[in-house]
Formats: sequence, C-alpha cells, structure tokens
Amino acid sequence: MGLAVEAKDLVKQFGNIRALDELSFHIKQGEIFGLIGPNGAGKTTTLRAISTLILPTSGSVEVFGLDAVNQAGEVRKIISYLPEEAGAYPNLSGWEYLKFMAKFYTKNASELEKIINEAAQISGLADRLKDKAKTYSKGMKRRLLVARALMTKPKLAVLDEPASGLDVLHAYYVRGIIKTYVKEHGVTVLLSSHNMLEVEYLCDRVALVNKGKIVVEGKSDELKQKYESQNLEEVFAKVVGYA
Amino acid sequence: MLKGFQTILVKELKEMMRDPKILVGIIIVPLIMFPILGLVIGYATQTAQEEAAQARLLVVDNDGGNWSQAFIKFFRAVNVTTTVINNTTPEQVVSQDLLTQNNSTQFLLIPQGFSENMTQFTNGNLNVKATVDIYGVFKSGGIFSNVASAGITTIVEGFNRAVSPNVIYASQSTILDGEIQAGVDPNTLSGLLFIQSLALPITIMILLTYAMQIAATSVAMEKEEKTLETLLTVPVDRFAILMGKLSGSIFIAGIGAVAYMFGYNYMLGSFAGMAQTGAPGVDLAALGLTPSLFDYTLLGLSLFVTLLSALALAVIMSAFAEDVRGATALIGYIYPVIFVPSLALMYLDINSLPLFVKAIFYAIPFSHPVIASKAVVLGDYATVVFGIIYVAAFTIVIMYIASRLFATEKILTAKLKFKRRGSKKTAEQQE
Repeated sequence: MGLAVEAKDLVKQFGNIRALDELSFHIKQGEIFGLIGPNGAGKTTTLRAISTLILPTSGSVEVFGLDAVNQAGEVRKIISYLPEEAGAYPNLSGWEYLKFMAKFYTKNASELEKIINEAAQISGLADRLKDKAKTYSKGMKRRLLVARALMTKPKLAVLDEPASGLDVLHAYYVRGIIKTYVKEHGVTVLLSSHNMLEVEYLCDRVALVNKGKIVVEGKSDELKQKYESQNLEEVFAKVVGYA
Repeated sequence: MLKGFQTILVKELKEMMRDPKILVGIIIVPLIMFPILGLVIGYATQTAQEEAAQARLLVVDNDGGNWSQAFIKFFRAVNVTTTVINNTTPEQVVSQDLLTQNNSTQFLLIPQGFSENMTQFTNGNLNVKATVDIYGVFKSGGIFSNVASAGITTIVEGFNRAVSPNVIYASQSTILDGEIQAGVDPNTLSGLLFIQSLALPITIMILLTYAMQIAATSVAMEKEEKTLETLLTVPVDRFAILMGKLSGSIFIAGIGAVAYMFGYNYMLGSFAGMAQTGAPGVDLAALGLTPSLFDYTLLGLSLFVTLLSALALAVIMSAFAEDVRGATALIGYIYPVIFVPSLALMYLDINSLPLFVKAIFYAIPFSHPVIASKAVVLGDYATVVFGIIYVAAFTIVIMYIASRLFATEKILTAKLKFKRRGSKKTAEQQE
C-alpha cells in the first residue's frame, strides 16, 4: 500500500524559535496515525504544515504524492482539517453550517444532500441540527465539527486534539466515530493528542514528538515492549529522559 | 467596605493598565486627540477673529449727504477699513466683481434719500426711518465663517445707540454663487447649514466606526473560533474568502449608507420647513443649498468608497489580533483619524486651514465624505470627484495588502506585539 503522508526533514522557524527541527515521518494509506507530545512540541505546527496552512522553512511534505507547498490547491481537495478547540458560526444552525462547508466540495444538489445527511448521521445530533450553533454544548459542537471533517470522506483527515476537553460520553462518542468511520470508509487519519490512552486506543501507529523532533515511532504495543513500559506515557517519559 | 472588593479592584486595575491596547486606546489616544483638536479649533477661531478685524468694508454711498458721511465716519472710528464708491447698484457691485477688487466679502449700501430720512427722524418725525442694506457673500465654512458680517450689524446698532434708537434699519441680503438673494440673512443661512455641518460628521463617524467594528469582529471571530483556519484548508480561493467577507460587510455598510442618505434627506427637509416657518423668505431648496439627486448620488458614492476603505483597513487590522477583544482594541487606534477631521470640519472650512493641515486632512480618506457634503452644497464637484477617486485608489491599495495577507500564513500567525520599551513588531505565533 502506498503512502498517504510523507514528511521529510521538516523545519519551521518562527523568528528565533525552531518549532520543527528536521522532523520526518510517514503514514500508510488507511492508517490512523497519532502524534503525541507535550505542549509546544510541534504537533500543531506539523498538522498545519501538512494541511497547507503554513509553509515549512525547509524540508518537504507530500500528501498522496502531492506536494503540500507547490500543489496546495490539489491537496486541499483531498484533505480535511479539524483545528483544536475550533468552533462553528454561532448564528448559523448546525445544518446550515454543514451545508456551507459541503458546498466547497460539490455543486450537485443530490450529492450535497447526501453529504449533509452523512454528516447528520455521523454527528448524531438529529433535530438539534436545526438549532443555532451558539446553543450547542462544547461536546455537541465537537461532534458537529468531527462530522464536518469526515462527511466528504476525505482521503486524509487531519484532526488536532479531536476529543480534548470533552466530557466522558462526548469523548467516547467522538473516538467511536473516528475508529469505526475511518475503518469503514478507508479514510487515513493523522491526529494529535495529549491523551496517551486515547492515542493507544485509536491509533495503528504513533510518533512521539519532543522539541520539534520525532523521538520515537512505531506501534503502541511494540513501543511499550521495547521500553518496558505500562503505557505510552511511561514510554515518552523514558525516551525524553524524564523517568 | 465589601469583603474582597479591594483585592478584585487591584487585580482589575493591574490587568487593564498592563494591557497596552487599553492603555493606548483609553488614555493615550484621548490625551493626544483632544489637544490636536483644540489646536485646530483654536487656529480657526483666531483666523476668524483676525479676518473680522482685518475686514475691509466696501461702502456704496448713493446718498452722498451729511448723514451718510457721518455714518461712514462712525465705521472708520471703530477701525473698520472702508472703501467708498458712489452711484453704483448692488447688481453692478456683484457683476463687476468690486468686492474681490476691494478685498472684501461684504458691502454696505447707503441708498439715496438716506440723509434726508435721517434729518426728518432726528427732527422728530419718527415715522420715517433710514435704511441701509448689508450684502454679504455666503461662505459655508462653519461656525466662524460669517463673523465679519455679524460685526457690521453690531456697528450699525452702535451708531443707532449713539444717535437715536432704531433710527437706521439694516436689511440683510446674501450673495450666493454671484447672485443676490434679497432679504436672505447670511447668518440665518449659516445657522441652518451649521446644523447640517454638525449632524453630518457625527453620523459619518458613527457609521464608519460601527462598520469597522462589524468587519473587524467578523474576521477576529473567525480567528478566535478557528473557523478561518478551517476555511483556509478547504478547496476555495483565498481571495474569494477575503472578497466574501468584505462583500458581506459592504452589503451591510451599503444598507447603512442608503439609510443614512434617507435620514439625511429627511433631516434637511425638516430644516427647510423650519427655515420657511422660522425665517420667512429663506428657502434652502430654492437657494440651491439642499442637495439634488445628483448631489445625493455623489455623496452616497463618496460615503460608500470611504466605508469600503474603512472595512478593508479593519480587516487588515483585525488580522493582527488574536481575538475579538484584541481586534476591537486595534480598531480603536483608527478612531482618532476618523474623529479629528470630522470634529474639526464641523467648525472649519477646510480651505481656511494651513496648507500642511489641509494636506493631512485630504490624505485621510475618512475626511472626504464630510468635505464632500460641504462641497456639493457649493457646487464644487471637482473636490467631491477627486475625493472619490483618491479614496477608491486608497481602498485598492489596502485591499491588495489584505489579499496578500490572506494568501499567506500571516493571516494566522501575524500579531501585533508590544514590547516593554514601546517598540512594536510583528511576531509569529506558534503552537
């Protein structure tokens, strides 16, 4: 199977700060790949570079063989990005929001309807989709946005902290969607998280990021075995020399 | 005292006073803005007083009798520089441009029979009154524009007090666009138009600041809610995002401009009505001092391009803010640039300002609707059209900058950062 994402020697410099320091990794098609690491490690910067939001200072990113810098327009057609703690338009209803976003992908009325219905099913918000987004709880908003990110069945879904800050039930629901929907539709997922348990549950492979570099990469079980750890949290602490 | 009140108050003050945006917007800006405004208005007052003091009065003495000589002497005694001509009709004064030749903006006509009437009145025939006619060129500058004209009436009253109360009746007429409007007092006209010159800038200030808030909030909200981040990753032209946002604001602003025009028209209509009932004979519409449909179109266009420039500027400014609060504070820095010219032009004729102040006012796009509103009344369409072209060009430049900003990651990463020593620079935002 081919590669969905290939990041090579990515460097991103913000003034004097080196956010990404020759970071390299790859994701196979259909995989759920997790980037984990502390705040400021470079996770969001990596996701933004892959999603064509920021330009790498040096290095390259390819998404399904398309260059994320020179073919950004083409990349945007096959990806879907969900920023961390994003919101929706408060004065649009959930339904209107989904329709607004779907229109960027198709002008065909029946396809549009199909996409929106798909999103409605993914979100599980039913009649609440008719209400304005400002009346939604944080968990409902996140379900709406996850549905938006997956409704077009993108080849690559880039999800930044998809379940952060959600209560147990909403987080469970969101993780469930990602796990099942992705496997059913063959969507490749790149996600970031602070929550090591979440990553263990969701991801086929993970990469631990620290100070802009990938410090270790592999399957959760293999990493735990290799570093003789109970969980990924312990793996990370051992790798960065904290434990 | 309430328990905990002091602790909360101290925290609030620290939090706010340490926010440079609040410090600059709430404290520094007014400290600079009002002194500047004071200087400009002070200058206008001084200029008007100097003009009044240096006013030359053209006296058309068609009487040539003893009393007319005495009357002219009285003017000279109170240091009014006078030039006397004889046997000339008011129409000749205007058509031969004698006022300009004598460096004056008003003339006093002493009609034939003035001395005879004076003699009869002083001899006890109180039914006979002498009349003089004061003709003043109307200037729509502002509150101080007709100081000199009012001064002449005061001197006539002074002469009456010296001789006999009510001996001379002074009628007022206005010279407007080279035509004599008999019986129309320039002070009444100026008073009516001053109400307009107050209402207009205030409305424009409100409309501009409101529209800028809408645009800035719209972009800042997208940044705060990260909906912009999402939009930038979907298959849509980034210029389309910018134009879509601007067009939305333009649409709202356009409705605002139309509403403003209707309101303004209604206001003028009500003043014209007041003028007709309150000051018989003064009909602003008949004098060509209310805007025509063409004038309204030009005014609307001027306001529209100005709104557009303000909106584009607001979009750029808000791109440097992280959230709605930051955007609102940043927009606050533009307010003095809107307020100072608008407030100043309430009182002043732009042409009476020193060249460099005039240049600054013309360079500020937000001055142009106010300038245009005065210019259309006087039929000075060149100034209005120049303003529209200038503001349109300014807007194009601003929109180009905005489109460049949207085309790059700067729209997400740029922010205005205030350093401790007050210097500022853009910094990049990172995870």
